Amino acid sequence: MATTLPYRPSNDSLSTSNAKTNGLPRLSPSPSFVGRSPSGSQMSFRRTSTENSAGYKQRRCKSQYPLDSPERHVEYILVASFHIDRGPIMEHQYPAAISGDESMLAELMLPDQTHVRSQDWTIFFLHKDTSGEEEEETEDGKKKKKRKSKYHANEEAAHLQEEQPDEASDEDSSDDEEGGEGPPLMYVLNLVNTKQDNTVRRGAVVKAMAICTRHSFLHIYKPLLLLALEDYFKSPYPETLASLYDAVNSMDLSLMPKMSLLERHILQSSNTKEMFIEKFEQMVRQREEEEMENGDVPPSPKKMSRYVLPRDTHEFESKVVYNDIPIPVKIPTVIWPETVGDFSLVKLIQTFAGPHATSPQPFPSHPHLTTSGPLTHPIIVLVNAILTQKRVVFLGHNRPSGEVAEAVLAACALASGGVLRGFTRHAFPYTDLTKIDDLLNVPGFIAGVTNPTFANHPEWWDVLCDLPTGRMKISSHVEPAPVTEGLLFFQQQNSLLPNQASNANQDPTGDTLFMEDILRSISQRHGENAIRAKWCAYIMKFVRVSAAFEEAVYGASNLYIIGPGEELSPDSPTGHQTDALDPSSLRGHGYVWQDEVAKQRELSASVSRIEGWRNTRSYYSYIQDIAAKYWPARPIQRPDLNHHHDRLRSLKLSHAEAGAIYLALAHAVKDYAGICQLLAAAPENQAGLFYLSMGLFHPDQVVREATCDLLERIGAHPAGRHFWSHLSRFAKLGYFRVKRDRDAAQSPISGPVSGAGSPTSNSGTSFGGEPQSLVGVALGDSFKRQS
Amino acid sequence: MGGSVSKMMGKIFGTKEMRILMLGLDAAGKTTILYKLKLSNQDVTTIPTVGFNVESVTYKNVKFNVWDVGGQDKIRPLWRHYYSGTQGLIFVVDSSDTARLEEARSELHKIINDREMKDALLLVFANKQDISGHLSPEEITNTLQLTKLKDKLWYVAPSVATDGTGIFEGLAWLSNNVKTQPSK
Repeated sequence: MATTLPYRPSNDSLSTSNAKTNGLPRLSPSPSFVGRSPSGSQMSFRRTSTENSAGYKQRRCKSQYPLDSPERHVEYILVASFHIDRGPIMEHQYPAAISGDESMLAELMLPDQTHVRSQDWTIFFLHKDTSGEEEEETEDGKKKKKRKSKYHANEEAAHLQEEQPDEASDEDSSDDEEGGEGPPLMYVLNLVNTKQDNTVRRGAVVKAMAICTRHSFLHIYKPLLLLALEDYFKSPYPETLASLYDAVNSMDLSLMPKMSLLERHILQSSNTKEMFIEKFEQMVRQREEEEMENGDVPPSPKKMSRYVLPRDTHEFESKVVYNDIPIPVKIPTVIWPETVGDFSLVKLIQTFAGPHATSPQPFPSHPHLTTSGPLTHPIIVLVNAILTQKRVVFLGHNRPSGEVAEAVLAACALASGGVLRGFTRHAFPYTDLTKIDDLLNVPGFIAGVTNPTFANHPEWWDVLCDLPTGRMKISSHVEPAPVTEGLLFFQQQNSLLPNQASNANQDPTGDTLFMEDILRSISQRHGENAIRAKWCAYIMKFVRVSAAFEEAVYGASNLYIIGPGEELSPDSPTGHQTDALDPSSLRGHGYVWQDEVAKQRELSASVSRIEGWRNTRSYYSYIQDIAAKYWPARPIQRPDLNHHHDRLRSLKLSHAEAGAIYLALAHAVKDYAGICQLLAAAPENQAGLFYLSMGLFHPDQVVREATCDLLERIGAHPAGRHFWSHLSRFAKLGYFRVKRDRDAAQSPISGPVSGAGSPTSNSGTSFGGEPQSLVGVALGDSFKRQS
Repeated sequence: MGGSVSKMMGKIFGTKEMRILMLGLDAAGKTTILYKLKLSNQDVTTIPTVGFNVESVTYKNVKFNVWDVGGQDKIRPLWRHYYSGTQGLIFVVDSSDTARLEEARSELHKIINDREMKDALLLVFANKQDISGHLSPEEITNTLQLTKLKDKLWYVAPSVATDGTGIFEGLAWLSNNVKTQPSK
């Protein structure tokens, strides 16, 4: 595309012009723009390109894993072996005994059939208190017994709570700072090796080493475990564990910036490798300044920084030095709840989609599960099962236990979408028969097993996912879906509507289309990230549809906090402006359907699984999360940005309606966090700023200019600039046309531009030479992407 | 689809399917027997079973799905999860390990007294007949107190698992005595 246009030498001129305009407000100024920090010592192109967003870097950037944190990366290292007379036993634990049931741990570390393969990985979780650790350090020995380490299923207290979720959810939020269901999980990555050895009785030695960490990116330790277990075979002493422990805990992640919820959303849904690079730069700058102050480091002879910026801001690169071998590790910058280890959604989906595509097998019907009839896609059945808190078992006979563990973790992420949680806490990535009684005490779980005897016990599971064949089964013992009040209400309401029979639409839930889209993405190799983003959107939609359902049936929803000035009545006109002088008083919230018929159709198709979800742990956690996390993270509570952006996207609006939205957005979205919120509502992997940019072509000049100002602010935003550069050339040209027209008219009226500054006074200067260089940015960027 | 065709063929030609559970104390020779059945002409060396093994073996028109479950005393309580649907129990004893025959007897009686195992055939392999000091099948029968069993079809077969002696004779007994019942 860009190659058809004459290429203007933009890069060089841009960087020089940037250097000149350093410190000058180039685009729409915000108050914080003025006091810029002294510019960095190096002037790489990358850095200068970010200078215009310097105003956003005023606050000190915090580290996700600060150097002085008392939290260790790895808390325990364990070694177990299979004793030929006694079965699994624990050999060593470092730095202390993890306590709890030692033989249970040893059994988990030596998975079934480990004797038939030389190497196997497993993952399992421990529910272990953090409290009491300090106590132990001070009064060694005495308090040791206080520390509890339990495998999930033993945790009876938790189960009692879960049986009365109504009460539990209220209590939890008050006494648990994380709003979770207890202390963070301890994740255990375990490597087991079987070595044939003719010198020992019965010819083999089976040993396993495990790393216990509270970080969910435990997969980074795989190469270390491989080396350390090998060493342990040679020298089976606690010192081997100690050297691994010290090595992993000296890993430095302190330059990894902390991000807000909205920033994480933007980063995750973006493929731009430089998204938020500013934060990493700032971390380095802060570190260098600290070192200068402390005089720690002599000024390096080269001007190069000792610290390297990440090549891709989605990952942070560090290293672990084990036995003098530096081992590179990559830690994901954004970690969503329920994302543990390095599973692949693509792999999970393909495993079950393949056999379904070639010869679909009908499921027995269950309202919670087979939401699109007997031939519902198995992946949808799986997600429905997890959402409605069924017992799901992944069976991988003759497969390494690491493979079933991965499937379990992927399934958790699938149903969570990074939005819902409470699945990993009740997941058993690998378990075996020894834990079956405990497992069956858990109401709703996701478990991975390799023992085919599970298939012979349909009373143990509701949905069985067989990995080798890629087939899913619904148990004959599954509990029938209860008839709930909500379901009855909804049917009553609906029976009054005439459009019941008109079931021309074969796919009322939209799931069939959705799965087709997912499979197309997979076959076109869009990659794991794209698939995860699509699932995130799917779960987000499920939650929003559920909120609409609750409002329709119960009159109010637990899943949505009504913004100020918004009142709840099902027939309140959306898009109505309550205050004529305040564009942001635009009404409307929630999911957007094309019309009432479409809404009814989708709701009636989803009513069963929504009702099935409404009594689960993930439902109650989500309600807590909205109040504690999601709602406070939204700086703009009115208007509902998602709602109105969706309206732009999916409805055919009149000019007046669309204009009201553009004005409202331009009026409401001003500061850094507000722009983040808007960008999160218009993710790059959907259409980015496309629908917003359409405001540049609105017939009303006021709307065009308001949109223009909004885009200008976005273009100056550290994340927004990437969105801007991905905007089509058509939209960019529209942008400059609006600017030109306004300059030509010489009218200082610039619509509702940013509040506190004095935009009109310097608009002349900044608009004078600007457009050209911005065209440079636009063309330069698209040119770069082309090449 | 392929499955249903072969099932139909099975009905015509009388192929039966039989779920067999093979238990016994640790190091009795269960896994060796299993793989001697599966790979009849090869030498088998085994290491302790962590968990279980399962293999299908077809012999004399009977498809045996044989489950071999680890025998360490700590994991014996898991045996019961394999009972349901089992048509035949193979109990393997080390005929030379006289010290533990009493332990073997007690485990065996625990198993066959379970309600889910009441219809299962019982085949005992008096294994390791090649090791000096071994007991004869008759002595094994007495020590295990098999004559006390009521309403139970049982048979003791002498065997040397490492060279395959007696293994298929035992299996033949199972296939001759299994009732023609629908598999599954």
